[in-house]
Formats: sequence, structure tokens, C-alpha cells
Amino acid sequence: MQDAVGGTYFDGRSAGRHPVDVVLDEAAGELVLTGASLDAPQRWPLARLRAQGDHARRDALTLALHAPSNDESPRDTARLTLADSGMISRIRALCPDLDRSDLAGGTTRKLMLRGVAALAAVGLILFFILPRMADTLAMLIPVEREAAFGKAVTAQIERALGAAKLGELTCEGPEGRAALDAMIARLTEGQDLQYELDVKVLDHGMLNAFAAPGGQVVVMRGLLDKSGGPDAVAAVLAHEIGHVERRDATRHALRAAGSAGLLSMLLGDVTGGTIAVFLGERLIRASYTREAEAEADAFALRMLNAAGIDSAAMAGFFEEIGKDEGKGPQLPAYFATHPASEARAQAARDNARTQGTTSPVLSADQWTALKGICG
Amino acid sequence: MSEGSQIIKGHYQGQRGPLFGLAFVTALLTMLTLGIYRFWGKTRIRRYIWSSVSGDGDSFEYTGTGLEKFLGFLVAIVLLAVYLGAVQMILFFFGLTLFAEPTSPEMALAQMGGFYLTFLAVVPLIFFAQYRARRYKLARSRWRGVRFGAEKGAWGYALRAMGHWLLTILTLGLMLPRQTFWLEKYKTDRSWYGDGRFVQEGRWSALYGAMKHLFIGVGLVLAAVVALALQSPVVGGVLAAVGYVWAMVGFISYRVRAFIYLTEHKVLDDGIRFEARPETRTIIGLVIVGSLVVSLIMGVVFAVLAALASMVVGPAMMAPGPGHIVGLVLMMGLYLGALLMGGALSLVWIVQPVIAHVVGAITVRGADRLADIRQRVHDSGADAEGFADALDVGGAI
Repeated sequence: MQDAVGGTYFDGRSAGRHPVDVVLDEAAGELVLTGASLDAPQRWPLARLRAQGDHARRDALTLALHAPSNDESPRDTARLTLADSGMISRIRALCPDLDRSDLAGGTTRKLMLRGVAALAAVGLILFFILPRMADTLAMLIPVEREAAFGKAVTAQIERALGAAKLGELTCEGPEGRAALDAMIARLTEGQDLQYELDVKVLDHGMLNAFAAPGGQVVVMRGLLDKSGGPDAVAAVLAHEIGHVERRDATRHALRAAGSAGLLSMLLGDVTGGTIAVFLGERLIRASYTREAEAEADAFALRMLNAAGIDSAAMAGFFEEIGKDEGKGPQLPAYFATHPASEARAQAARDNARTQGTTSPVLSADQWTALKGICG
Repeated sequence: MSEGSQIIKGHYQGQRGPLFGLAFVTALLTMLTLGIYRFWGKTRIRRYIWSSVSGDGDSFEYTGTGLEKFLGFLVAIVLLAVYLGAVQMILFFFGLTLFAEPTSPEMALAQMGGFYLTFLAVVPLIFFAQYRARRYKLARSRWRGVRFGAEKGAWGYALRAMGHWLLTILTLGLMLPRQTFWLEKYKTDRSWYGDGRFVQEGRWSALYGAMKHLFIGVGLVLAAVVALALQSPVVGGVLAAVGYVWAMVGFISYRVRAFIYLTEHKVLDDGIRFEARPETRTIIGLVIVGSLVVSLIMGVVFAVLAALASMVVGPAMMAPGPGHIVGLVLMMGLYLGALLMGGALSLVWIVQPVIAHVVGAITVRGADRLADIRQRVHDSGADAEGFADALDVGGAI
């Protein structure tokens, strides 16, 4: 038996302090605590000793006993603090379980149950309730309000593209405008559309077009430059009109409002979390979007058929985008907001085979005028 | 020893090195687990900081566990998912129906900003979560083996906090002392150490003295407005700059002096009193020095990273094959690692020194009565701060 060293004992029943003599009885496998203020010597089995983790004081060791309890950890409430370095290293050597964090019984079951419940709730909200609510709400918004919101969105985008004042990037070449109007008239002739279309061309090199809420369609100059022909532009326009008619932009804005907050809450505002929120948002949006894109494609093909425009140009356009996609590092299709271009091109080609007589949407002169709309 | 004569001084003995290691490793694990480890990380940092604080040689103990925090978070998520998802979308919808056509970019921007009003739906929950988090932290704090604790009352707190905030905003800050005092009293009067109850004494109007420098700063800014109206831009500019800095310092001074007043008017178990002597100038000095050190270290780290990017990773990305992906991932990893380091550094160089100063400035009088205090029962901690974690209102520690 070793010599006694001093320690401080707290009985866990009051905040009184008990100076004690501590003896390490290795034969019995116990720490024996004696003190004037203790009713009887305390015997702490070494196997049940647990130390406080992440403790700031290296020169002291605070011990508790492993014991069943309803507390946050299965620990007895009494504490013993030792400051004798010899005793501390001896205890460390003798007690392999000193730093174990014991779990109360039933913890795994609880963890599984709550984990499943939380995942189910979040999944239900993100993939079922929010989309349904967004669909319903998107239908309830008055068309003129939607148009106002759409104007705000396009204004926002113009600013993002570098417009110092609104309308600065809008291309207004009169002959080009007339050609664009002719294209829209050809596409929409005989169609019963719920929105009044407001198509504008922005002077930016990006190969893109998008539909904002409420009938706003924005075409970038890059699309006119690189799309390969008026029929391809008409196909893209028809696709965007499909989005407008289905109120996709409004629906997506509503969904995003609901899901963005939820996601950042889930992942926490940590350094890696911000990126995870971004990727998660993209992932969720992609799953909404792929369905919406497929529907808009189908709408565009119907519109092209009704207007007698060859959808082979649409196929060519998708193949062109497909090539561009091959250049950069390949992202999984799930992260792209558009479905795989090859499949879309195939659908457009199949449609082209069944089309009757078609004619170009614009004359050569009109096409030249449209390409020059930005001056 | 005569009744009430024993004095205990607060003492902080945390070190920079170990805390930095702990904070960096837990932040790294948090990143690698997409945020899940943050519950364990926060718990471990609290254990370190609590154990650094001692009175009369006896350290505090933090007994919370990462697991219970994670479980509480899961419960909070279920409730918040339903509430936030739905409320946010409905508010957004009403925002849309109130929409008018924007006529200028500023107006368009303002309208986009209006969408963030959805934030209002969360306000009651934030106060609720703050009270709950405080209750949980107290329930998991022990000193001399005896638990601290707080009574239930999170909704009552949320209601009062919203009322006081509204009054403070409507009176342009004149009712700030009233808010500070009554909210603190609500919390203190429901706090316990063992079977000893804390009571907040004092008067709210006494806190006006603490606002002195805040008033001077605001007064200078108002004078600047007058000077500008009288067409003297130089005087106005100088007054505005001085007033702004004065008001910022004044705000910190208010918080420190209010803390002193409120602490010195707290009573535990009918006879244990406290003295607090933290100094505004020391705290500001610590924050400035800490910020300088952190930005200096981070500046060096990012410079090294940039050099690395241009010399090693850049050429690797130009090379054919999978090099560019590897280079990109490596660069992102290094960048995130540097950001994590920044967080750990500010904990070590800014937060910890301020805590150390405040703890060292606290004295407990009448400490002999502490021996009579009995243990209190275990508090489940309700959601174990899950709401605060979900809404991210927990703060650094």
C-alpha cells in the first residue's frame, strides 16, 4: 500500500468541501478516502473511476465514479480532485477505462428513432410539402403581381450582369426588334397563352436564356451569336415560354424560400456548411428542375409543331451545349440544372422525323437583323 | 471566521496552445462530417473553458454531452422543419402579393430586402431558444459537485423580450436600460446554484449612468448632423467620425458597466454577494490586440497559400489528366483549413482573453455560506439547446 496523499472530496449532496487523505490500495483495486468530515471511509473501485475529459488543468485530476443514474451521463454525483503527480500517473496506469465516456442504456435506440424521425420530417418537408405548397401558392398569386415580381428579378439579373442603370443592357435595335416580334408572333399564333409575353435581349455574351416570373423572358446576345440559326433560337424561346406558362420560375422561388432556410439550419453555419448548403440547394433544385425542363421541352416541341418549325435545329442546339459540357471538369448530372443534353437532342430529333412540312421561322434578312439587335 | 467574511476570487487558467489545438481539431472534424460533429465540438470546448474557471482552487465542471445535444437537435429539427418551411413560404407568398412594380434599381433592391422579413417569423423562436440554451448550460454546469440550474420559462422570456425590444426600438434606445435590467432579472430570479436561489436586486433606472459614453457618442453624431445642415462639412465630418467611434466604445462600456451593476446587485441564497471589476479599456485593448494578432497570422497564412497556389497547384492544374481536379480539391481543402484556423485563432486570442479578464475580476463575498448549499435534482435540459443550435443563436461557446 502506498502513502496517503491529500485530495479534495465533494460528496455530491452539498457544496461543502472535504479535505481527504487518499490511499491507492492496489491489492484491493480501490482508492480509499478518509477524512475528519467524512462519516465513513469511501472506497472507490479503480475499474469504475472516470476522469473529466478536455480538462484545462494538467496538474490536477478530477474523478467521478461510473454508476447508473438518470443524469446526462451514468456518473455518481460525488467528485474527487487530486493534485499529486505521482498518484495521478499511477491511477492513469492502473485504470484503462479512465477516459471512457459511458452511454446510458437505450441510447442507440433513441438515436436511431430520432434520427429517422428527423430525416423523415425534413425529407417530407423538402420533397413533398414544400413542392405541393409552392405549386398551390404559385397558382394563387395574381398574374399582375407575378409580373411585378418578374420585373424585379430581371432587374436584379441586369444588375448582376453589370448594368449601372436599369435598361442599359437591353438591346433595342428596331429592325432586330421587329424580327424578334415576328418570331414570337409565329410561335404564339393560335396558342391560348395565359401570360402576355415580354421578351427582351440583353447585351451579354453568355449562351443562355431564362424565364422570370410573370411572362418575362430574357435572351442573352450570346444565344443569338452561338446558337446556329433562327430555328434554334425559336426552339429556345418556345422552351422558355413553356416555363412561363407552367409558372416554373415563381414556383422555384417559392420552393427556394422554403428550403434554403431549412437547409442552412440543418447543416449549421460552419465553414464547410456554407458549401454544403449551396450544394444541397443545387441538388434539390436540380431534382425539381429536371422535371420542369422535361415538361418545358415537351411544350416547346408541341409549339414548334403547331408553328411548322423544324425541331432538328433544337437537336443541333442541344448537341452543341453537350459538347461545351464535355470540356470542363465533369460534374455529375444531378448537379446540373439541365437534363443530359444528349437525351434532349434525341427527343428533338425523333420529333423532327414525325413533323410534316416545315419552314424557317425567319428569313435570312430578318435573321441578320435579329443578330444585330444589340448594334 | 465571522459570518459572511470569506472571500473567493475568480481565477482563469486556460492556455492558448491546448485550446487552439482543441478548437482546430473539432472544427476540422465538424467540416469533415458536414456539420454533425459540431455538437461534440462545442461540448469539448465548453468542457475546457469551464474547467479553466475556478474559485478557491475548485474548478467548474461542464457535464453536457455531445450526444444529448445531437438528440435535442434532431427533435428541434422536426418541429422547426414544419414551422419554418411552411411559415417562410406563406410569408414569401404574402410578400409577393403585396408587390408593386419597381421603378428604380434601389426600389428593386429594397423589395428583395423585404423578402428577408420572413426573418420576423423566427424572432420569437430565437428568444425562446436563447432562454432554453441558458437553462441547458446552467443545468450542465457544476461547481464543487453541485449543479446550477434554471426554471422553465422560455415562452415567458420570449414574450417579455419581444415587448422590451419593441419599446426600446420605439423610444430610439432610451428604454435600453429598462430592457437590460428586466430581462436580466427575469433570468436571474429563475436561476439556482443547488438549492440556493439567485435574486436580482437594484433599479433599472440606475443603469442610465452606464449609458454615459453611449449618450456622448450619439450626441456627437447629432451635432455632426446639425453641422452638416449648417453647411460646414469639415466640422460635421470630424464630429461624425469621433461620434461614431465614441458610440461604439460607449456601447461596449455600457455592456461592461451594466454587467458590473447587475452582478453586484445579485444575491445568492440570501447572503452571498458578488463583486465585479472588469474594465472597459482592458476589454477593448484585448479585443484590438487579439484582432491584430489574428489578422496578422491569417495574412501570413493566406499569403503562403496564394504562393502555394501559383507555384505548385497552378501548374498541376494546367497539366493534362486528372491533375486539375486534384489541384482544385487540394486548394479548396487548404483554403477551408485556413478559415477553420481563423475561427480557432479568434477563440484563443479574442474570446478566451476576455473571459479570463472577466473571471479574474469577480469576487464572491460571504462564501462560507456556500458549504450549506444542497444539491439540486437533475434537469433533463429539455431540447439540450437543440433549438439554439438549429437557429444558430448559441454564440461562440
